[in-house]
Amino acid sequence: MIPPAPFDTKAAAARLAFFFALWLTIAGWTAKDVPVGLAAAAGAVWISLKFLPPGDARFRPVQLIALAARFLSASLIAGFDVARRALAKRPDLDPGFVSCPIGLPSGAARDAFLLLQSLQPGTLPTGVEGGSALVHALDVSQPVAAAFAAEEGHFRKAFGHE
Amino acid sequence: MSALFDLFSFAAIGAGVFFFFAGTVGLIRFPDSLTRLHALSKADNLGLGLIVLGLLPRADSALAAFKLVLIWALVLASGASTAQLIGRALRRGQK
Repeated sequence: MIPPAPFDTKAAAARLAFFFALWLTIAGWTAKDVPVGLAAAAGAVWISLKFLPPGDARFRPVQLIALAARFLSASLIAGFDVARRALAKRPDLDPGFVSCPIGLPSGAARDAFLLLQSLQPGTLPTGVEGGSALVHALDVSQPVAAAFAAEEGHFRKAFGHE
Repeated sequence: MSALFDLFSFAAIGAGVFFFFAGTVGLIRFPDSLTRLHALSKADNLGLGLIVLGLLPRADSALAAFKLVLIWALVLASGASTAQLIGRALRRGQK
């Protein structure tokens, strides 16, 4: 068991403002709905503090934008890749698991990295066991592990996890 | 100008529909659940992204446009995390 962290009022207030703004964006600005929105935002803050405790992640805007651009172009390639394999005369597949060493420690940063990685062409992480991510690949003849390691490097740069 | 926007919307939404179609073909043709997950998570995310892109010029306000992008981001995050969880359950079930 992880001991419960002391309640961080500043982080909670910032998150409440963020979730309430999100709720207003989606649901609209009607006065009678505001209590519902506040209750929903409070619930979201409770869950987010439980699963994503305030950390000391440092953001590097330039690298973050570069990461976002890489991510968008990768998801474009991923979509084309899977469409080509699906529409080929015979589905073009050589599926299997590839064990990819991962350096990021267990936590929110690693989860975020695996989330981005699951949208890369032809790869789907299926959990981490013994310091290696078990990545399911559509085509194991591709350099899956090398691409995974390179992406982890870019991710660490963007979030200062070096 | 508006004709140009219409053309853009038409092209982007058409491309989005194509990727949804390709993802569905993958869902039907791929041999097992793990490969089918790839078809769904990748092709459908791109398809939805393109449809959202095509709808942006037609949004009534900047807020409505932002809402569309937000919906795409939510679907992306929830789809990608669910795919990993299903993938992990399948992998453990295989052993």
